[in-house]
Amino acid sequence: MTCRKVKKALPLLAGGDLPPGKVRKVLAHLERCSTCREELAEYKRALGRVKAAAREEGVKDWTGAEWQALIAGIAASKTRRRGPAFGLRSRWALATGLAAVIVLAATVFIFKDAAFRRQEILPGSSPDVVSVTMVSHETGLQVVWFLNKNFEWKGDQK
Amino acid sequence: MRMNETEKELVAIILSGRSEAFEPLVAPYRQSLLALAFRLTRNWEDAREVAQEALLRAFKYLARYDTSRSFRNWLFQIAANEARDRSRKRLREADVIENAQRELPAANDPESGRRSQEFRSDLEKCLSVLGRREREVFILRDLEEMDIKETARALGCSSISVRVNLSSARRKIRDTIRTLYPHLEEGQ
Repeated sequence: MTCRKVKKALPLLAGGDLPPGKVRKVLAHLERCSTCREELAEYKRALGRVKAAAREEGVKDWTGAEWQALIAGIAASKTRRRGPAFGLRSRWALATGLAAVIVLAATVFIFKDAAFRRQEILPGSSPDVVSVTMVSHETGLQVVWFLNKNFEWKGDQK
Repeated sequence: MRMNETEKELVAIILSGRSEAFEPLVAPYRQSLLALAFRLTRNWEDAREVAQEALLRAFKYLARYDTSRSFRNWLFQIAANEARDRSRKRLREADVIENAQRELPAANDPESGRRSQEFRSDLEKCLSVLGRREREVFILRDLEEMDIKETARALGCSSISVRVNLSSARRKIRDTIRTLYPHLEEGQ
């Protein structure tokens, strides 16, 4: 391994996080390279210093009363949350129901439309109802006959 | 780190409806949770809120907790997520404030700037050179001593990403100590 590759691996090696497969190769290099050895030691010192600084940094704590109040509040939240949690579920149920109705309506609309179109374009198909319009040239009177598909008279409109 | 038997029993008791078992479950971590929250937020007020929210969520979602994991790491994961959300919110707020301040005449007070700089701890100076992800990874892995896998799980990223960020964080910290704080490097 070259120094360049080893130097890249040193930060992880310093904290014991280098994958085992690489560790052997890096250690073999370190045995014969004092520069890389010194750099590894520097990483270890730096990590040690930061960890020590973290330990020395004053860490606050809750007072006994604050802690008890916090825990009591959390325990009490269990009963308080039941209402809104149920409400949330109800809202989800309502939204799901509404979405189902919309999807159903859209499906009906699409298929109805498609069936209508198919009726129009299929060869040999005939509409259920036909109308015949007769117009008088003299009086302008219009008579419309409605017939079913068997040409049985269903009514008229004047 | 796996969950111990006592914790497992306490979780089972809480899930059976006896919430009084929550206090003994979380009490061993009360200070370390607050310390983690402080290291992530660098503000005691935020740290308290983050820790409180983490405890509240741990209680609320205890049924989802996988008992094969360490409870401590699960609790810390919740705190890390909460701290990240809060940090994003703060950044957005800071942007708004910064924009508003740009429109005001600059109030130069070099003395107060110098004082606040002096009060920053050595640890904070080191952490301040890290990016957000590097900082989270460094704190969880090196200061809280989670392993790589747990750190990745806590931060919702891959082990490779953790290693990359950790390597970069350690390099930056080494450089910071070497150049700016030789007294730390020499151990004085």
